[in-house]
Amino acid sequence: MLQGIREAIVEVVQAVLPIILIIVVLEIVVLRATPPDLLLFLLGSVMVVLGIALFLSGVKAGLLPIGEAIGSEFSVRGSLALIIAGTFLFGFLTIVAEPNIRVLGEMLDTVTGGGIPSGPLTLVIAVSVGFIVTAGVLRIIFGVPLAYLYAVSYAAVIVLAPFTSPDFLAVAVDAGGITTGLLTIPIILALGTGITSVLAGRSALTDGFGLVGLASLGPILGVMLMGMVYS
Amino acid sequence: MILELFEGMDQVFLEVAQALLPLLIFFGVFQVALLKLPRVYVMNLGRGILVAFLGMVLFLQGVNVAFLPAGREIGEAITAFGHLWLLIPLGFLLGFVATYAEPAVRVLGYQVAESSSGYIKESLIVYTLSFAVAISVSLGMARLVYGIPLLYILIPGYSLVIILLFLTDPEFAGIAFDSGGVATGPMAVTFLLSLAVGVAAGIEGRNPVIDGFGLIALIALAPILSVLALGILYRGTRGEE
Repeated sequence: MLQGIREAIVEVVQAVLPIILIIVVLEIVVLRATPPDLLLFLLGSVMVVLGIALFLSGVKAGLLPIGEAIGSEFSVRGSLALIIAGTFLFGFLTIVAEPNIRVLGEMLDTVTGGGIPSGPLTLVIAVSVGFIVTAGVLRIIFGVPLAYLYAVSYAAVIVLAPFTSPDFLAVAVDAGGITTGLLTIPIILALGTGITSVLAGRSALTDGFGLVGLASLGPILGVMLMGMVYS
Repeated sequence: MILELFEGMDQVFLEVAQALLPLLIFFGVFQVALLKLPRVYVMNLGRGILVAFLGMVLFLQGVNVAFLPAGREIGEAITAFGHLWLLIPLGFLLGFVATYAEPAVRVLGYQVAESSSGYIKESLIVYTLSFAVAISVSLGMARLVYGIPLLYILIPGYSLVIILLFLTDPEFAGIAFDSGGVATGPMAVTFLLSLAVGVAAGIEGRNPVIDGFGLIALIALAPILSVLALGILYRGTRGEE
């Protein structure tokens, strides 16, 4: 893995250098930043580079294999009850533990003046992620085209959006972005490719992807529906 | 200043640990009950998780102390400068480089390249998403400056998603939707959002909380559309062969 980390650092420096350079130029030209400020930014950037390099190596060595192992185990066992219970629980738990949900709760307080407690919000988001990711896994197993699932979900968003209050719409769309955290993405990605790798006649590209997108679409619908119930 | 660099890091540490915990429990139960992978292999996985954990703490801390304040200050400074249209090209530039640096985008690119045996290159995914987010951020800035309601952009955008979905190569559909999820990673959400909040704070009649969210919605939408479009192009080239 050390070799991997060393290679990752080179790759990450290439990836992060453009944004660092542009910010440094803007700091000097627009903000007229002092040398200590610039130094703080550069030290922070070094942390970012090191952090991403470690993260990416760790993802390849730890998180992706775990997701793939669980995904292929699901398919090998072939027990629908296990797949449904396992996937739902997985989606539910990762959301309950997601730190950003708290930020979302605070935002909800601000926009609604504290009328809606954040406990139910977390529950709604966790259930909708558990539910929609399970639907996504089942569609891989039964070979339902991804397009149907997404077309129906997006149509529902389009129909519901004009009837949702702007505050709830704000929280709904943000909830979609927040649920796909850095730790969950690799596992969910690998879960999909793991499941397809074992099933016969499935393409890793056509069938293995799409779960992360569902995980960010589910909360949008869930929170919109919650908004309609509350208002 | 060294103290400033590590300010709040204990909080970041706790938050990442909290997010990691259910994954560990879930895997633990699976390993004991069903998977029963060999011990050495599990130790290697554990090391990988530990490295990913440390990396994530360092990365988030670095973003919080360096990129978050920079985004807000740049947003405020440009708004105070007066020529608001400047925000549109600047948003394009910053949207591009922020996504180019986003680690989750790399993970998706890697996974796509692996699954397609190199048929779809990692760099293709990275450039497509960076370009898409660049467009979303400049659109988001235009929306902030001229006060365009979000739904006027979102509803046509979502409708276009449904149309393109049936025209694109099925191999690209799943990747397209996952792209929307990975583009809204920490770089985008922390840096670009704080840029938008800085701008909204400087323009009269804008609510930073409400107007900030519109940006996330756009950042999630444009990558979906652009990868679906990429799939149509791929289908076209394959048809000619």
